[in-house]
Amino acid sequence: MTTKAIDVVKRRGKRATEPFDRDKLHASVYAACLSVRSPEGHARQTAEHVCNVVEAWSANKHVITSEDIRRQAAKALAPHHPEAAYLYQHHRVIL
Amino acid sequence: MDYPTIFGIIGLAALIHASFQLSISMVTLLSGHSLGSKAKASRALHLAGAFFAGVVVMTMLFVSFLAYLATQLFPHSVPALAWSAVAGISIGLGVAVWAFYYRRTKVGTTLWIPRPMARFLSERTKATTFGAESFSLGLVSVIAEGIFIIAPASAAALALTQLPAPLQLVGIALYTGVASLGILVVIMLIGGGHKLSRIQKWREDNKRFMQFAAGSALLVLGFYMYVNEVVAAVTTVTGGL
Repeated sequence: MTTKAIDVVKRRGKRATEPFDRDKLHASVYAACLSVRSPEGHARQTAEHVCNVVEAWSANKHVITSEDIRRQAAKALAPHHPEAAYLYQHHRVIL
Repeated sequence: MDYPTIFGIIGLAALIHASFQLSISMVTLLSGHSLGSKAKASRALHLAGAFFAGVVVMTMLFVSFLAYLATQLFPHSVPALAWSAVAGISIGLGVAVWAFYYRRTKVGTTLWIPRPMARFLSERTKATTFGAESFSLGLVSVIAEGIFIIAPASAAALALTQLPAPLQLVGIALYTGVASLGILVVIMLIGGGHKLSRIQKWREDNKRFMQFAAGSALLVLGFYMYVNEVVAAVTTVTGGL
């Protein structure tokens, strides 16, 4: 399953909503792990775990924001890979 | 003006230029995205190297252009008025750096640049896969910070006009080398296997110090130019020395 019937509000409603996409979340967490030089297998495993946690958190919700997802994903990522979690949470505030 | 003073002004101006962070932020993003997209480390380094080349070329062009302009405008000697103007710009921008170089956010290293522009640069940086694109991003990163870079670059340009032609080249090389040093260090750290998160964390932890240092150095440079080139010149003339 790659999508759920949950609407994701993008950038405080400035962009059109879109359905929750697990693959997209997986790709972003995976990339964050790789960018701090985590081995590919470990990065994939961590991304899977984070996606499961975020999916479980969003299960009883109809609408969530992209910021919510980012926050929850970073929270789930931190115990496994604090440095990736830091970069995941901060990559929008580098510039 | 003697050579140590001229090279001192060029060196201090270049250090101030080096403390501006847009290019470093962009190279951090660029490396993060190229490593995150499973690119080989050598590929990431190639992109960062091309970015660095762009920064070096644009910095050199920027300061050379200003120096050329200064020689054309003031072929015999730089008037006190020009030194006062550059000193005033330096002091004004020093206060501006203190006030709003970094946005007042709790986390991150969000810079002063307008948000739509930051988003554009960020998107372009993420999408960069070729060396040529990376090179042009390096060029753009210097232009985008032109409003702050103008002060140290103008000070260096006025100082450069006091040198004979061969030494002007040395001065331009010195300015470009020192101004690009920060980016080179970040690229070397990334190439040496340091984690981006640690580099970014260091930048975030020390951003207020960097902001204070850059602003203060601009004030120091401005006051020094004013005292050394304007007040001293006026005193010499009125004192009949």
